[in-house]
Amino acid sequence: MTVCLRVCPDRTAQYACTLLGYTLQKSGASTELRKTVSHLEAHMSLTRKLMRLGNSVEALEAAKRAIHLSDSVLRLCLTLGHLNKAMYFACDNVLWAGKTGLVSKLDQHKWSQRSFRYYLFALILNLTRDVYELRLLMESEARYRASKSPPSSSGSLPDEHLSSASAPGAVALPIVSFWLRRQLHLLVTVLYNNPPLLLDLLKNSCDIFIPLDRLGIYPTGSGFVGACGLTSSVLSILTMIHPWLKLKP
Amino acid sequence: MDTILKFTSHHQGKDRVFRATQFACALSTYLLRTNTDRTKLLSTLKTLEANLNAGRKVFRLGNTINSIQAAKRSLQLSDRVLCLCLTAAHVNRALYFFCDNVLWAKSVGLIRDTNKVSWSTGASRCFLLTLIGSLARDIYVVLQLMVQRARDGHFRQKMIRHLNESPQVAEVIVPHLDAFLFLLLESLKSHPAVVLDTVKNFCDLFSPLDKLGIYPSNSGVVSLCGLVSSVIGIITYVNPSLSIKP
Repeated sequence: MTVCLRVCPDRTAQYACTLLGYTLQKSGASTELRKTVSHLEAHMSLTRKLMRLGNSVEALEAAKRAIHLSDSVLRLCLTLGHLNKAMYFACDNVLWAGKTGLVSKLDQHKWSQRSFRYYLFALILNLTRDVYELRLLMESEARYRASKSPPSSSGSLPDEHLSSASAPGAVALPIVSFWLRRQLHLLVTVLYNNPPLLLDLLKNSCDIFIPLDRLGIYPTGSGFVGACGLTSSVLSILTMIHPWLKLKP
Repeated sequence: MDTILKFTSHHQGKDRVFRATQFACALSTYLLRTNTDRTKLLSTLKTLEANLNAGRKVFRLGNTINSIQAAKRSLQLSDRVLCLCLTAAHVNRALYFFCDNVLWAKSVGLIRDTNKVSWSTGASRCFLLTLIGSLARDIYVVLQLMVQRARDGHFRQKMIRHLNESPQVAEVIVPHLDAFLFLLLESLKSHPAVVLDTVKNFCDLFSPLDKLGIYPSNSGVVSLCGLVSSVIGIITYVNPSLSIKP
């Protein structure tokens, strides 16, 4: 997605603090150190909210651009994804206003849950897009392999396997496992040849644990959330340093 | 290095808006300070200003390197005066950001045993030296433009026509002042970037002069000047042709 979470080292620092806080708690470090780390994390979180003021507009602009895509699945995923991102940023801005005292009597928990829900929807759409692109690439890779190799060894099972089997069940299992192996090989090849797609898939897979934990759908604990957030932030920094690693559109 | 530059320049636009908002809050706080009915609003404005200030310090966490890179670039300028003024300004700016980063680390509790007052004074001193370097450069550029204009034949004729238009002006001293001002205004008319930069640096002077006690003014004056300089900063960001180069 073109409008990422405007990653800068702050996100990395925030999730590093989350992970560090969890590690310090497990290892029984002093309360003063844990308080410092938790204070730093809160400070980074508030600063990032400040930096995100205005990102809703950018997300809406990205959604407008995505409407003109030719591929209908990509068009749907990206437009809805950007719209959800815009809503997430809007809720985030409201939370910032509440935390800084601009809006008094704000139900922080309610707005926080709202913002995580939009974030989750955006990530689900991102992942759908990644899986769709992966599917397309795998199909084209399979077609390419089929056209390259001669028809007799086009991937069908050797005949002795089929003839030696006595029952239909015994035939089905090797066929399924062969098919699975082939699909896995295709998957690895496609991902190896498309680093932007691999990076985006990994990033979104790591990110999804954050809203799942915060919404209580799949609680994993602050340590795991911190590690996932840190990994996805590092991957995002990589795409900023090397723009060719960014998945387009 | 390029990576760090990419990160630091990324939020420049937002930072300028936040700076303007911060000074607008400070100015509003000063204007409403005697108004007892608005205590809640005052408290909100102060909190907002503090949050913006704290947030902006995080934005500035890579600017030391940015300024060192700018100083390296200005060393390669051919004009010696510009080279000296700009290099001195960038080096002092780098030191200011370094002091600022230390103050941020102290505010979040990363560093404990530091003298906040001495680092704050150091930061103000470096900022003042930066502004002096920038203003020296502005004055040098203005003088160069005036010399260039004065040598221009067309302009000389225009000057003579202007001086002859007002014969009631006293002949001894005022015509020279009149001619100087006319030359100055004509030179600056075609270079709005220089005017904006000079006004911006001049407005920024009041803050360190007040903090260091060299020229104490009240928080209202400092906030108003800060707001003006922030608005100029936004204008030059939105319209890069109005930004002075180098």
